[in-house]
Amino acid sequence: MSYDYHRPRSLAEALDIAAATPGARFVAGGTDLMVQIHKRAAAPAALISLRHVAELGGIDNGARLRIGSSVTLTELQAEPAVAAGYPALIDSMRPFGSRQIRNMATLGGNLCNASPGADAAPPLLVYDAVVELRDRAGAREMALEEFFVGPGETALAPGEVMTAILLPPRAGDVRSVYLRKARVKMDVATVSVAALVEMEEGSCVRARLAAGAVAPVPKRLRDTEGLLVGSPLDDATIARVSTAAADEISPITDVRSTADYRRHLTGVLLRRALERLRAAPGEGVL
Amino acid sequence: MSKYRHVGTEAQRPEGADKLAGTARYIHDITVAGMLHGAIKFSEHAHARIVHIDTSRARALSGVRSVITADDVPEVRYGFMRDNLVLKKGKVRQFRDEVAAVAAIDPDIAREAVDLIEVEYEPLPSVFTPEEALAEGAVLIHETDAAGRPRTSNVVPLPCRHASGDLDAAKERTAHVVEGTYTVPRIQQAALGTSGCIAEFDRNGNLTITTKTQIPFLAQRDFNSILAALGLEGRNVRVVVPAVGGAFGTGLDTHAYEYISILLAWTTGKPVRILYDREQEFAYLSPRQSASMFIRQGCDAEGRFTFREVDVVQDNGAYTSWGATYPNVMLVAATSLYRVPAVRFDSRIVYTNNTYCQAMRGYGNPEITWPIESSLDDLAAAAGIDPYEMRLLNSNQPGDVTPMGLKLATCGLTECLDRTAARIDWKEARGPERRTARGVGMASLINVGGGGKIYASDGSGIILKLDDFGHVNVAYGGVEMGQGLHSALTLMVAEALGVEPENVHINETDTATSPWDVGTHASRGAFMAGNAAVMACEKLRARIFEHAEKVYPAEVERNLARLRDRGEDVSPAGFDYTSVTRDRFDLQGGRLFVVDAPDEPWLQIDLGRFLRAVHFTKEGGVGTIFTEEAFYEPPTELPDWDRGIGNMSASYTFGVQGVEVEVDVDTGEVRILRLVAVTDVGRVLSPQALRGQMYGGIAQGVGYALYEEIKTEEGRILNAGFTDYKMPSAADLDFPIELEFVETDDPYGPFGAKGAGEPGIVATAPAVGNAIFDAIGVRILDLPITPEKIIRALREKETAVAGAGGG
Ligand SMILES: Cc1cc2nc3c(=O)[nH]c(=O)nc-3n(C[C@H](O)[C@H](O)[C@H](O)COP(=O)(O)OP(=O)(O)OC[C@H]3O[C@@H](n4cnc5c(N)ncnc54)[C@H](O)[C@@H]3O)c2cc1C
Repeated sequence: MSYDYHRPRSLAEALDIAAATPGARFVAGGTDLMVQIHKRAAAPAALISLRHVAELGGIDNGARLRIGSSVTLTELQAEPAVAAGYPALIDSMRPFGSRQIRNMATLGGNLCNASPGADAAPPLLVYDAVVELRDRAGAREMALEEFFVGPGETALAPGEVMTAILLPPRAGDVRSVYLRKARVKMDVATVSVAALVEMEEGSCVRARLAAGAVAPVPKRLRDTEGLLVGSPLDDATIARVSTAAADEISPITDVRSTADYRRHLTGVLLRRALERLRAAPGEGVL
Repeated sequence: MSKYRHVGTEAQRPEGADKLAGTARYIHDITVAGMLHGAIKFSEHAHARIVHIDTSRARALSGVRSVITADDVPEVRYGFMRDNLVLKKGKVRQFRDEVAAVAAIDPDIAREAVDLIEVEYEPLPSVFTPEEALAEGAVLIHETDAAGRPRTSNVVPLPCRHASGDLDAAKERTAHVVEGTYTVPRIQQAALGTSGCIAEFDRNGNLTITTKTQIPFLAQRDFNSILAALGLEGRNVRVVVPAVGGAFGTGLDTHAYEYISILLAWTTGKPVRILYDREQEFAYLSPRQSASMFIRQGCDAEGRFTFREVDVVQDNGAYTSWGATYPNVMLVAATSLYRVPAVRFDSRIVYTNNTYCQAMRGYGNPEITWPIESSLDDLAAAAGIDPYEMRLLNSNQPGDVTPMGLKLATCGLTECLDRTAARIDWKEARGPERRTARGVGMASLINVGGGGKIYASDGSGIILKLDDFGHVNVAYGGVEMGQGLHSALTLMVAEALGVEPENVHINETDTATSPWDVGTHASRGAFMAGNAAVMACEKLRARIFEHAEKVYPAEVERNLARLRDRGEDVSPAGFDYTSVTRDRFDLQGGRLFVVDAPDEPWLQIDLGRFLRAVHFTKEGGVGTIFTEEAFYEPPTELPDWDRGIGNMSASYTFGVQGVEVEVDVDTGEVRILRLVAVTDVGRVLSPQALRGQMYGGIAQGVGYALYEEIKTEEGRILNAGFTDYKMPSAADLDFPIELEFVETDDPYGPFGAKGAGEPGIVATAPAVGNAIFDAIGVRILDLPITPEKIIRALREKETAVAGAGGG
């Protein structure tokens, strides 16, 4: 277990090192990657730290909310613009690891690690998040939904860095919530669900649903969310939605849970999420 | 007011400050000059023939000092049934089998070298459940026993059974019967401090091994055999125990890694350390056994037990540890929890190709209490009796001799039941008015509290040595592993000798200086240490008082002279201090005085001054220093396991836990709202240590009830680490835990105390299961009670109800 460690100060420097160092991996908080290295599940030739790359830090509340990829979860939790506009993202941070983990872990790391159960992913999916990627050739933007390719697999090209997560501004009566279940309090999600509805005159005009740990990638439930549009969020609709989701997910049985239970739990969490949104406009709740 | 000055007081734990500050020295903190690092190559199959081991690439790696396989070193057999080889020859029988080992100049090189060892295997058919292992024509895991005799089945030859009373007649008197097969999973002991040791030889071939163990003296015996194999028969083995970060039973056997570090120390001539990291601890150390337990019990129309039948099948894994004697301890509750006039108990331990198992806290008792106490609630339901009333009706009483022959000198079970019911608001919480999906349950326990005799001696020695300054050094062979033994022992020595606790110092456990002790298990540490300490302290006091006859008058004169120099006056002594006889002296708080005048400073002699006065005399010849030893052997019997009869402990600890839960019927999650534990510990010795034991045991009990399970696939552990082996953390124990202690003042216990190391974990799971049953009317027979199982059971119940309605 030995590797070179690089600590670039600028993005250009980081990208140059990456281009010149075959087998190198970027590391942000290291809470995924270092665990993999210690378990010998990863053996990079070199690590390129992103923690001191100035361009990757900071949150900028412009036309879109721009969250630097190296922003830690603790920083995110303390950001009023996030709490005000994107409460489901805050919901997802509360059960995330522990305080020590949140002090180190970054939002970019959570997405780039591409775990199907990554807690930040479902809320960002329902907020139509876009990720900004950059390599030496230039920058590109991509919908988060397309960024996830498979378990641990992303659309990142070799040597490419995620620089920021971009969230569209919030407008209208938009309500969102994130719910998750795990075996114990300190655990990755068994199943997680994010829901967003935009209500007009008691009826849902826009809906987004996403679920974690029930498919190879954090999954936007496009077919299911369609059932909500035009409905008043009544019991019948909610029941239909929570049953329909089962067809859109493909959970597996693994050491954490069974496919059957994950399917069941997805329905329960969706029902509870929608009931909360009906009851508490704009309130993010755990 | 308590009759004791120190016993029962809130004293600080003597080792606490160093543990908090990080200055206590665990095996991980110890290095020895010139030390090498060992690493082990483990099997990659559950059952396979070893065709060839190629170590050439490992040997060629720079920094490697030794690579060994079974071909390079003498054969060393070990284990409770001597069915295990330190390095495997011929075949592997489980994924944790040790096939080769490396010593290198740093741990990374050692691990890298291990990866370079290539082993060619020829897989063999395997069995992963006792059913498979017992099936006709099943592959034999061991073709021969340790003596080379052919074996014909996978049953481990360790009979343990019991039959008492007239079962047929009892069944005839029975009005209600329930039965069921309950299972418990393999779980991890999960001590915070992982395993490790350092072995080193001196140039005379004497071995010193610093190791995390609970059995320094049985380990010494075990390691003698490896010296013999190395041609060092008769050389000395010294076992030193460093600070231990929890063991929970993992230290009750010697382990291959210890023998391997000895072998590597021998082949290299250097000290060799082997440390396990967390993943290795999970994968390559033995977990607690899984077991399947059939129970049938009945009662008469009033709810009195008429009979109990139990059949235990325990998955041993591929080799045998002390843990295979769980049924010996299961007998205690199976025969003696409540008054049961007719009992049949049978057990079978079965070899499989799973990782072999070993002991954990409670040693069979949490296992057997799970079916007994769960099915009791079913029986109460069948009989239409409140389960608490049924427990009271059948409660053991002091003076009882149980079917196993256990003599219950004291028994506070009835009081524990009453106090638990009162604290958990039993009647109200169970009443018809209760909110849906909330329920309460309780479960009782009996545990050995005065040792547990399963070895030729269940005794403990102690050596007390007073220095010239009034400090007493205690050499004891038991192990402080976080349980608070030193807290309890410090207070007991202070009490029995008459010194302040700050002046009591307990030595590091070391076979070179500590007297023999069978091991720290079976909740026996404080009980045995205390009894031995009381005996030794009495001897020491007698000698002090004998010498005081000579020294006291002159020392009082010195006091007087000093006072006169200062011009102070004293009131008369009221007795003749120049001729006090030994029976009138007392020692309290490190001050020697005469019972006639306990409070007069000028008539008191500081213990240190007294000791120096006796020690430094002008005459030649025989001098005096103060050292005393005692060996306490409890008045118990080694049971006859074929009949399951024998009073294996001097005292028995009783307890009851009550739990209130809320079940989320949509998700199946169980939330514990509060937990009450009332325990008859005889006497509280160190409240702080005792609370720690109870909280820790209960936390493990909650894990056993709701979360913990080692998951395997074809013998391979899938969740070797805390990422997927889930224990409750502080965040999950977010409910009040109320502790209460009943003091029955046991005649055999030191100051009346009974052992209390294990009871915390014993009754939690059935109490939780019973509360869930009360809340939602489903009973889960298989631990842990996961949300999945609850949802499945609720669905089955719904289908059954719907089916009944439709039909
Ligand atoms: C004890 C513990 C508890 C945890 N609990 C949770 C939990 O509750 N929920 C959860 O979702 N996760 C959890 N995790 C996982 C982990 O903490 C998160 O996924 C975290 O957000 C990862 O961020 P990081 O900065 O530490 O990533 P790192 O480990 O630094 O990186 C992760 C991966 O992303 C790549 N990477 C990082 N940043 C970039 C970038 N800017 N551009 C390109 N590639 C990049 C790295 O190369 C690596 O492959 C837990 C981990 C631990 C150890």
